[in-house]
This record gives sequence, structure tokens and C-alpha cells, in this order.
Amino acid sequence: MRRSHLLATVACATLACAPLAANAQFAPAGSGGSPTSSVPDPSSDNSFEPTENTPAAKSRFAGPSPYAPQAPGVNAANLPDIGSMDPNDVPQMAPQQSASPASGDWAAYGHDDSQMRYSPLSEITPQNADQLKVAFVYHTGSYPRPGQTNKWAAETTPIKVGDGLYMCSAQNDIMKLDPTTGKEIWRHNIHERYEAIPYTAACKGVTYFTSSQVPEGQPCHNRILESTLDMRLIEVDAATGNLCPTFGHDGQVNLMQGMGESVPGFVSMTTPPPIVNGVAVVNHEVLDGQRRWAPSGVIRGYDAETGKFLWAWDVNRPNDHSQPTGNNHYSRGTPNSWAAMTGDNALGLVYVPTGNSASDYYSALRSPEENKVSSAVVALDVKTGSPRWVFQTAHKDVWDYDIGSQATLMDMPGPDGQTVPALIMPTKRGQTFVLDRRDGKPILPVEERPAPSPGVIPGDPRSPTQPWSTGMPALRVPDLKEKDMWGMSPIDQLFCRIKFRRANYVGEFTPPSVDKPWIEYPGYNGGSDWGSMSYDPNSGILIANWNITPMYDQLVTRKKADQLGLMPIDDPNYKPGGGGAEGNGAMDGTPYGIVVTPFWDQYTGMMCNRPPYGMITAIDMKHGQKVLWQHPLGTARANGPWGLPTGLPWEIGTPNNGGSVVTAGGLVFIGAATDNQIRAIDEHTGKVVWSAVLPGGGQANPMTYEANGHQYVAIMAGGHHFMMTPVSDQLVVYALPDHKG
Amino acid sequence: MPNTYGNRTLTEWLTLVLGVVIVLVGLFFVIGGAQLAMLGGSVYYLICGVVLVASGVFMVLGRTLGAFLYLGALAYTWVWSLWEVGFSPVDLLPRDFGPTLLAILVVLAIPVLRRLETRRALRGAV
Repeated sequence: MRRSHLLATVACATLACAPLAANAQFAPAGSGGSPTSSVPDPSSDNSFEPTENTPAAKSRFAGPSPYAPQAPGVNAANLPDIGSMDPNDVPQMAPQQSASPASGDWAAYGHDDSQMRYSPLSEITPQNADQLKVAFVYHTGSYPRPGQTNKWAAETTPIKVGDGLYMCSAQNDIMKLDPTTGKEIWRHNIHERYEAIPYTAACKGVTYFTSSQVPEGQPCHNRILESTLDMRLIEVDAATGNLCPTFGHDGQVNLMQGMGESVPGFVSMTTPPPIVNGVAVVNHEVLDGQRRWAPSGVIRGYDAETGKFLWAWDVNRPNDHSQPTGNNHYSRGTPNSWAAMTGDNALGLVYVPTGNSASDYYSALRSPEENKVSSAVVALDVKTGSPRWVFQTAHKDVWDYDIGSQATLMDMPGPDGQTVPALIMPTKRGQTFVLDRRDGKPILPVEERPAPSPGVIPGDPRSPTQPWSTGMPALRVPDLKEKDMWGMSPIDQLFCRIKFRRANYVGEFTPPSVDKPWIEYPGYNGGSDWGSMSYDPNSGILIANWNITPMYDQLVTRKKADQLGLMPIDDPNYKPGGGGAEGNGAMDGTPYGIVVTPFWDQYTGMMCNRPPYGMITAIDMKHGQKVLWQHPLGTARANGPWGLPTGLPWEIGTPNNGGSVVTAGGLVFIGAATDNQIRAIDEHTGKVVWSAVLPGGGQANPMTYEANGHQYVAIMAGGHHFMMTPVSDQLVVYALPDHKG
Repeated sequence: MPNTYGNRTLTEWLTLVLGVVIVLVGLFFVIGGAQLAMLGGSVYYLICGVVLVASGVFMVLGRTLGAFLYLGALAYTWVWSLWEVGFSPVDLLPRDFGPTLLAILVVLAIPVLRRLETRRALRGAV
């Protein structure tokens, strides 16, 4: 008896105290206090990066001076500097495959220059899609080896041009495959080191480029261009995979040139660079949350033929488009852009979806120039590197609402029967902006609506208004309420209710707080993330998949951040896993660090809000932007409490990453959900007509192509470490059974 | 002193365990529910928790009243959850599924509790 009493007491105490632990990992209320004195005072005019003579920061953990030399390994191939060239001397670009792909090809990341993700193929239809079978599987060979942290999410979309399927591995090896068998025709290994992996080992794709200078039949007439995690721009011959000797230094350009102090993994590239009128435009991600004076988010143009530097768009040096010389560098901490960019040869523009200035959750140290262009679409003139127009999707963003999606180009029906060249810009907020791509003016109405301001952080007021795209269906659910809390039982539901009530929350744009957590919904995973949208220009149907994944954030004082061991990646004490992008961050150089988790029950691993967590929506763009159909995306089969798969076919709607393809056959192909399935959906009804289980998470944009008279559907089942789906190195390609006989 | 827990059958032990579980859940409800109410949230958990603790204690003591208190709490839970979210299966799942499963066990325990009460009454008569 005595023993059972004891057990009961222990169990009782454990259970009963659980509510108290709802905020255990967060700073207790009242621990806010005033920031330590060793950090910049936002009230003084200190929003400029340190000079060469600025004394070193006094906080316990701090990154080196921006003038410190780059760490060994940052310039991975030890490439010499590249010279500059006058943009006016860029030769006339030859006609590109991506401008008008052959009907069976998929010539660019989003199919063609419009990035519509639409294929005119129609062999596979809603009637026969249920017969799809695996045609072949290709292993890229890139996955975490023993002893390596799982930072993998390949996110790759192959391109198909002529007789080849071209793709990259998660660590940037480039390969050409036979599109009917998956047999490797060539493979070019670039020997990227594990340390170069930033937040994620991803390579979304490669770019196909036809030279105007090298005659047909010569090596490097057709080339594959790739940007890498370790900041190289590489061109190889499409026929052989050999480096192109006339590009850069034997086929490679070092993009760390002019970046100043950095370490491997701080800046990296994961998207295929667009080539616009002969200019290869590159952007890069800068690891979030590290330090205010992180490396620059500069956007640069290079000659696609020679790899020579053409221009830079450096936000805080708006009138200087040249490469820094000597010990100088591009201005630090400026908004970075990590999403795939879209080129526009006709207008001579590249549409850059931008992110946030470094130190995402604290904006007092940002310059007015940065505030104008962060979390925006910026149309850069590829001749000069100057913005022609800017459209901002979140003002003074402190919610990590950087744009992850690629802009899609399409023609909108205009008032006078003419079509307007338009650009569709999805955002993490679930607001989809439709802009005139000639001047950036909204085609569908955009309203500036009051937003919670000024907020509570001293010296860092929030914008009094924020833009809302009122002409498009919002890809979000209403603001959360206590009764939206969910769980397996009333016990975890109660836990989540307490968590909800303990946080600051006044709806979207709840300002950051230091005394207690705040709820961020929409979360930083979207709404729409990097999967972007697909658009069928014939039916006028726009396909969007999106997330309902709130976050639970709290600013912490420098003292508390030091106690938590938060430090920037370039701190000498930094150990991998000690805080990185998308999670807790030091935000060194500001008064605060940041603690971020999903808004979940950390004991069961289940989200606190009610399902669905992911949706797919079809919008009729030709008839008033009405929702044609909308339903949860992803089943509960591979998800459940404590990460256990439930095996349930219930279409609960899971978080999703990765986009869709729409075809003339009337089908939408999409993986993305965390149930590790690929499915075919009837474009007009939303009915799922086929699904198959992948060997890993389908967090990648699928693509479709024709080879040997048959239509194929390919998806990289690379998985995603943050989405907690199984990582694999397999590209899976499906086709209808071959009826040769 | 005669040992009242002496010759317990398996079902009687299970009933005791069930009572303890209900007390634990009730305590969680009371403590968490009090916090939630103080934060301006629903008072359902606090009220329900008090009833559950009473229910569990009576069941541990071998009183049929405990079972009926539980069924009362369940009725309250259903009424409250239908008021809060309506006939939405997804939202009723966390609120009512577990409590209703537990109610099946509680109903099964009623004959056991009755037997315990009868035995106690007989012993009192001796």
C-alpha cells in the first residue's frame, strides 16, 4: 500500500506540475529588464555598421569585426578574384531553351521563363493517373553520413532539355541522366565540404544556358550553370559535364569576393540563377538570427559567357554598383534574398523576392534604405543593377516574413480587353499580390490596413499599417482563439490553452515582446513558402499550397541570450547546433536574442492549434479570383503524437513544403505534405485521383516531361530535416505502364 | 484492525486504479484550469476538475457516487464542448473522445463499486 501511495503521489506531482512547465524553455515573465550596456543604444545614431577602428564588442559571445579576414574554407576552391566588365559589353544573348521549351521539355526551375510550373503534356489524365508506376529511381548519393547532423533537404527539381535530365545533389554535384532510364550520362562532383552546409543542404536546381559566343557543336555551346552552398558559380558543358574553361577561372567564380568576414555556412546559395539578357543574376541566403552585422545580402550580376562581374545592388550603397576593393566589403546586414528569382528578358528585369535585414526580430538598427526594400519584390534592371520598382509585402518586418516563393509571370485580363503583363507574388503571410510587372503597381487592390503599433520594444516602433491584398483569397485561417487549441485529449488541450493565454497575441503582426512570448500567425513557414504556385494559362487556374503553422517567439535580453549560449555562427566558440537559422538566435549586435519554436506541445510534438496544418487551394484568375476548390493537404499516416506514425488515411492537412505542377492533362502533381506521398489531383474538382508513398519526404517541386513518346513525372524525395520527414537521396520518376506490345 | 483491502479481486483493483487516474486527471484540471481561469481563459477545466477529483476520491473509497459524479462531469463536458465548438468532429475529438472512453470503464466499474458498497454494508451490520 505504502509503495502504491508513493507512486501515485509522484505521478500526481508530475502531472499536476506539467501546466507550470508550459513556458519552461522561455524566459520567465519579468526577466525582461533593461538590456545590458555593452550593446548599441538604438536611440543614438548607431544604425551604421562598425568601422575598421570600432573596438570589439564586449558581450560574452560576439562575432569578429566585419573587417576580419574570411575564415579558411570560405573560398572553397581557393579561386582568385574575378575581374569586372561593363554591362554594356555583354553580348546579345542567343535564343534560350527556357524562353520557348519544346513541348516535352521542362527547361527551367519553374518549367520556362514565366515560372508557371505548367506543362502542355496531356498523356496522363484524371482517368488514367491511377495506373502510374515507378519508372526509375536515381540516387544522388548525398545524405547525412554517420556523425553528421541531419541538415538535409535536397528540394531539387530537375530540368529536362532535349536528351537529358539535368539536376544537382543536395551538396551541389551536377549530373545528367537519361530521361527514360535514369542512367547517369555524366556526373560532375564539386567536392563540397559538410561545413559549407548552412541551415539546410539544398540545391533547388540548375540553369540551362546556350552560349552566343561558342558555336554549336563546340564544347560549352550549351552549358549548365549552378550556384552552390559554398558560394561558387559554376558552369559545365551540358554534353560532357566538363567545366567551361572560358567561364570565370576554369569554369568557376568565387562569390565570396567582396563579402568581408565570414565562415563556411554563413552565406550560401540554393536556387538556380536566372539568366536575363545574358546576365546571370545571383542572390544568396544569409543565415538568420546570427548577428546584426552579418555578411551582406547583395544581389549581383555576372556575364553568363565569361563569369565577369557586371554590377552589384548593395542596399546601403545604392549608387555604387562596383565590386569593393582592398579591405572593403558590401554593406553588412542588408536584406538577403534566398528565394528563386524570376527573369524577364522583354523588360530587362529580374524580380528579386527579398528577405529581412540581419537580426530578423529587431529592426531599430536598420537603415531607411533597408526598410524600403526588405520583404519586398524588387525589380532590378539587369543592365545597371538599380531597382526600377519595389513593392513591399510587410513593412519593417520582425516576423521573418521574408519571401520564400518565386514570382510567377502571367497575363492578367485587363479592363479594356487587353492583357496586362503581371507577376504573382505569394508570401508567407498568405497574402498573394498581383502586380503589373512594368511598374510594380497592384493590378488587384491592395489596402494599407492599421496594424498593432508601436509595440513594446523601446526605440523599435512597428509600422502603423501593413499591406493586404484584398482582391485575392487570403491563404490563411482567421486569427487564433483559445478554443482553436487542440490535442489528443483535454489534458494536452488544456496545456495549449494555457500556452495560448500566456503569450501576447493580438492577431497578425503581434509585435515582438521580451516579458513574455508572443504568438506569430501566420508563421515563418507560410502561408506560401518556397514551393511557389503553379498556373495553368489556359484554364486560368492558380494552384497554391500553404501552411497553418503558428510560431511561439520571445525576445530575450543579451544576458539571457548569453546564458542560453546563443552565439553567432562566426563566434570562435560556436559549435554546430548551438543556435542557427529558424530557431533560437543570438542576434549579436542588438540588445536582444531570439527564442523561436513552433506553437506546439513540446511534450507530444503536436501543434497546439487545431488542424488542418496545410491546405491546397485552386483560384480562378480569369473570373474574379474565386476559390474553385480548397481542401486539407496531407494525411495523418506518417504523423502523430511523439512523432509516431498513426497510419491513418485521415486527410488532416499537414504542414507542407514544396510546390505543384499543373498540366494540360488537367492534373496537379504535388508532394510537399509530411505524409511522404505524391499525389495527382484533378485540376478542376480538387479530387485526389492517385497517390503513392515516396521513399522519403516529398519536400520538393515535382516536374513533368516527355521522353520517347511518354510522359514522366519526377520528384526528389529528399525529405526535410525541419519538416521532420525521412531524408533520402532518391529521385523518383513515375510513368504510365508502357504499352509497347 | 481488519484489512478492508484484504481479499480484493482483480476488478476491484482495476477500479481502484481507475479512481486514482481520475483523481490525477482532476488534479491536473484543477491546477491547470485555475491558471487558465486566472489568465482570462475558460473556467470549464477548473469546475470539471473539482468534480473529477471528488469522483476519483469516491471511487477510490469504493463509493458508487464516484462513478455517477464522473458521468455528471462527462455530461457537463459534452454540453460545454457542443456549446463551444458545435458539431465539429475535429474539435469534439480532443474534448470528448478521451473522457468518453474513460466513461466506458467507469460504467463497467459501477457493479464493482456496488459490490464493494454491499460488502461494506454487510460488514457494518455484523
